[in-house]
Amino acid sequence: MFYHISLEHEILLHPQYFGPQLLEKVKTKLYTEVEGTCTGKYGFVIAVTTIDSIGAGLILPGQGFVIYPVKYKAIVFRPFKGEVLDAVVRQVNKVGMFAEIGPLSCFISHHSIPAEMEFCPNVNPQCYKTKDEDVVIHAEGEIRLKIVGTRVDATGIFAIGTLMDDYLGLISN
Amino acid sequence: MSDSEASNFSDAEASGSERGSPVSNRSRQSSVESRGSRRSVSRSRSRSGSRSGSEAREASDGERVEEEQEPEGDSLHDSEEYDSEEDESDSGHRRKRKKKDRYGGFIIDEAEVDDEVEDEDEWEDGAQEIGIVGNEVDELGPTAREIEGRRRGTNLWDSQKEHEIEEYLRKKYADDGAAARHFGDGGEEMSDEITQQTLLPGVKDPNLWMVKCRIGEEKATVLLLMRKFLAYQNTNEPLQIKSVVAPEGVKGYIYIEAYKQPHVKASIENVGNLRMGLWKQQMVPIKEMTDVLRVVKEQTGLKSKQWVRLKRGLYKDDIAQVDYFDMAQNQVHLKLLPRIDYTRLRGALRTTQSESDAEKRKKKRRPPSKPFDPEAIRAIGGEVTSDGDFLIFEGNRYSRKGFLYKNFTLSAVIVDGVKPTLAELERFEEQPEGIDLELPTEKEDKALTHTFSAGDNVEVCEGELINLRGRIVTIDGNMITVMPKHDDLKDALIFQASELKKYFSMGDHVKVLSGRYEGDTGLIVRVENNRVVLISDLTMHEMEILPKDLQLCTDMASGVDSLGKFEWGDLVNLDSETVGVIVRLERENFHILNMHGKVVECRPSSLQKRRLNRFTAALDSFRNNLHRKDMVKVIDGPHSGFAGEIKHLYRNFAFLHSLEYLQNGGIFVCKTKHLQLAGGNKTAPAMEVTTNMEFMSPRRSSPMHPSGGGGGGGGGGFGTPRGGGHGRVTRQRDLIGSTIKITRGPYKGNIGIVKDATQSTARIELHTSCQTISVDKNHIADVGTPTRDPGSTSYGRTPAYSGSQTPLYRDSGNKTPMADAGSRTPLHYGSMTPLHDGSRTPNAHSEWDPTASNTYPSPGYNPSTPGYQMNGPYTPQTPGTMFNESGYSPYQPSPGYQSVVSTPSPATGYSQSPSSNNPYNTPSTGYSPNMPYNPQTPGANLEVLPMTDWHTIDIEVRIRDSHDDQGLVGQTGVIRSISGSMCSVFLPEEDRVVTIMCDHLDPVQPQRGDIFKVIIGEEREAIGELLSFDSQEGIVKFKNKITLLPLSHLCKMRKPDD
Repeated sequence: MFYHISLEHEILLHPQYFGPQLLEKVKTKLYTEVEGTCTGKYGFVIAVTTIDSIGAGLILPGQGFVIYPVKYKAIVFRPFKGEVLDAVVRQVNKVGMFAEIGPLSCFISHHSIPAEMEFCPNVNPQCYKTKDEDVVIHAEGEIRLKIVGTRVDATGIFAIGTLMDDYLGLISN
Repeated sequence: MSDSEASNFSDAEASGSERGSPVSNRSRQSSVESRGSRRSVSRSRSRSGSRSGSEAREASDGERVEEEQEPEGDSLHDSEEYDSEEDESDSGHRRKRKKKDRYGGFIIDEAEVDDEVEDEDEWEDGAQEIGIVGNEVDELGPTAREIEGRRRGTNLWDSQKEHEIEEYLRKKYADDGAAARHFGDGGEEMSDEITQQTLLPGVKDPNLWMVKCRIGEEKATVLLLMRKFLAYQNTNEPLQIKSVVAPEGVKGYIYIEAYKQPHVKASIENVGNLRMGLWKQQMVPIKEMTDVLRVVKEQTGLKSKQWVRLKRGLYKDDIAQVDYFDMAQNQVHLKLLPRIDYTRLRGALRTTQSESDAEKRKKKRRPPSKPFDPEAIRAIGGEVTSDGDFLIFEGNRYSRKGFLYKNFTLSAVIVDGVKPTLAELERFEEQPEGIDLELPTEKEDKALTHTFSAGDNVEVCEGELINLRGRIVTIDGNMITVMPKHDDLKDALIFQASELKKYFSMGDHVKVLSGRYEGDTGLIVRVENNRVVLISDLTMHEMEILPKDLQLCTDMASGVDSLGKFEWGDLVNLDSETVGVIVRLERENFHILNMHGKVVECRPSSLQKRRLNRFTAALDSFRNNLHRKDMVKVIDGPHSGFAGEIKHLYRNFAFLHSLEYLQNGGIFVCKTKHLQLAGGNKTAPAMEVTTNMEFMSPRRSSPMHPSGGGGGGGGGGFGTPRGGGHGRVTRQRDLIGSTIKITRGPYKGNIGIVKDATQSTARIELHTSCQTISVDKNHIADVGTPTRDPGSTSYGRTPAYSGSQTPLYRDSGNKTPMADAGSRTPLHYGSMTPLHDGSRTPNAHSEWDPTASNTYPSPGYNPSTPGYQMNGPYTPQTPGTMFNESGYSPYQPSPGYQSVVSTPSPATGYSQSPSSNNPYNTPSTGYSPNMPYNPQTPGANLEVLPMTDWHTIDIEVRIRDSHDDQGLVGQTGVIRSISGSMCSVFLPEEDRVVTIMCDHLDPVQPQRGDIFKVIIGEEREAIGELLSFDSQEGIVKFKNKITLLPLSHLCKMRKPDD
């Protein structure tokens, strides 16, 4: 799910940037440091929308670096258990398939793929398909999945999903 | 002895010994009860003594009645010693008694209540007590019935007042809540614990003595003692014991209740079964007395469906399931997989010889455990009879499903801590016996500590609340407090550990507590009844685990072994030569991917961790420097197409980690030269490659190379002996000493000898003017030593050829002494500058040593290969357009060469691939599909058909005129099969199959409406229909899509059957 929330971040700035463009530098540094990161609590920071305030910089004694506390608003993407999302299949193999939902990678075990869909290793590209080939899911295909579990570690979120529910599976355009 | 038995025993006893027998060796139960009654008598007197005056009077009446019975009791009384302490010569102590009573004659002694007979005085003067006793009876409820029954008989039956009797009876047989009502009336609540407390034995109660007994004879002995007691009852020396108990489950001991040890001794004298207990009787401490008779639920027996292991015999260590347990016989009926020796002949087929053989065999090994196979038994002459649902063979019963059902003594099985492995479970479960099989395995043995922990999700698996789910709040030993997840249940409930099992749901992140995957963590992807499938975080492989071995957790497995010495992904030394990366840590052993791409299992002790060297570097295919943590792309080799991060480098091997690679947790091994640094410099190679002769030759021979036009032939020759691809030779020096031609710049056309070479430039000593100049390496081309003697020309070419071929080929070409002898004269050597020679590393030099060459078989040595020799006749076929110089081209169409080229051997792909710089091209596929140009196939030049393995089965081909057999040339056929470079082609015209070299075949282009097969490109092997075409492109229809494809990529297809 996407949220637009306020977040804080501390920017450590090298003295070389002390000058007229200082605040600009803080901002650009915030963008580079924050966008694309992932925390367990808030999920992936997709984009910084506004920078609310850049606090007073604090010079670190003995170093010359300055810490700026920055408050900003950002759009974050936080996957939840039970959430239904659209994903792009990245890889298909016999244990299941990997899909990407933007920055989130999601694994769909073959246990979670409807039984009528079988893995066809001999077709190029490899795919899961039904007997009558109505539904063929292969890499680059777009699917709708439901997240059944997430694993959060320091630097990322990993999800496992399922296709075993109504209206899940290949999104046919 | 169970409780019921005990009470039966006491009943029998009571009837046998007549009521009121003072020394009744009642069962423990009754004696405890009586003790309890005494206690509560004293207690309740204080409480309710006053309110039961009328009853008391009644009771005193009854007491008088009792007196009349005195004589009978008296005789017994006389012989009683044990209560003499308290009430000896009652008559003489009447005063004293009374006194005692005054302080509340409540301290009524055990004996007084218990043995009604001697209490006449007390009953008399403590008249009111009777009523109390009556109350007491009610309070205690049924527990005191036995005693009361006797008393009632004595003191109430004869009572005149019927309504009293009625009232008494009503109270007595009122419901169990009587006590509660009483206390309720009194405005008090009596907790269970306190009432229970009063029942416990105290110092004044008789002791329990533990007496050794012959094992298995415990119950018989107890009965014997009872008979003995009865026999002695009316003699001068009756046995003065209270009771004898043989609790169920206690082996080799019985308990005798008595006040004194001599009483015990007297009773066990002359009892054979107790002979060994004669000398020593152990007293049970008062505190432990209750434990002796604590009834432990199910502890003693085995439960059916429980798993056990056999301790000894043929089935030692085999898993078995309890069918039923015969407590009395101490035998357990087990279901297990039989181990029958199907090789030993039975019945009529048996011979003495086979018998002795069998004996020998028996000693050697035991037959495998597998389901009973009646057919196999009959085959070896055994007789299988049928008995209902069972088959009987050699006295053993087998179920139809092949299990053996057999009785074992309890001592032969291990009961505690048996955990069937999944494999074992499966063997039992493969027979569809239903779900109940699984439950016992689910439950933890009570003796063992459970694996629950606070926060676990559990499900109740036993009792009334079965299927209730909840979360563990606290754990106290085996008692587990669970907060139920139920709308109507708000309070925490307490369960035994055995009543609970864990449950997990999909998506839970769990940790494996024990078993093979101990310590691993993962996400659950599937939950079945007794099985959970999870995907490991670390390695992304699936694991099947029993739920009891799992625990919810949030952290990820670190992948560090128990000692913390090794970590997942570590580079370790397997031995002095091989290294590997740990791809899975298990409890006992590690899985290690060695540098050859094999996964081996090792014990941690045999490994040695390699220290990480930050500066380890290697070169990729484009000569970029590779370091750890670089992102690279695999462009060749078995893992071609993957991209990943370099985890470790070792010599020319790189261990990569890719999320997309599924095995081994994404780790695989590649040669560094199969890699391409992501974002690395791709254009530089043309420059850099020239520094290295081994990389150079293929490039040079390829038409793409800048020098291709002018000095193509020379380019071929560039991989000259010293170029030779000796990777171990110092690379910078490879070029030194070779004769080259300058192809660009002001000195273009000049020929010279390379004196020195650096990365980008070469110092050339010009032949013409005596001067040494620096030339860009790109601007030079080897001329194939044109200045050498004639022999060397051919020689120079030969290695050139080989240089672009497989290493072996090339090596052999280089190393054959013949070559040396033939092409080089000593003079030639002499003519070389010392530098030339000196420039070679000793290694390189040694290769020229005829003696050293012996180590290299040189079957393919070129100058003498027919291919080379025979190429003359085919010269006309070679357009030679590309290699218009230096007679290189005639060589190519020769059959010998062709064959080499067309084989899927590395050489083929190699020499053709402009994109590859890899001289050590290992056999690989997919090299050349994009090859836009094919120098080796003259025809191909026109057809733009890459010289690749476009051949596939079922396509129509035309035999090219390069084929020897002119009769076949021009015919079309269908490829039936391909092996190596040879195609089996079915010729419909001649109705036969001929085997033809791939190179002599051309694909037949499909016409409109034809079915075709794609032979080149990504869609290779795809089958479609050609709808229409213009000059180059065809509009084709695959199963359901229509697209455009170049015609040259298509080949007409014909099914072999039409």
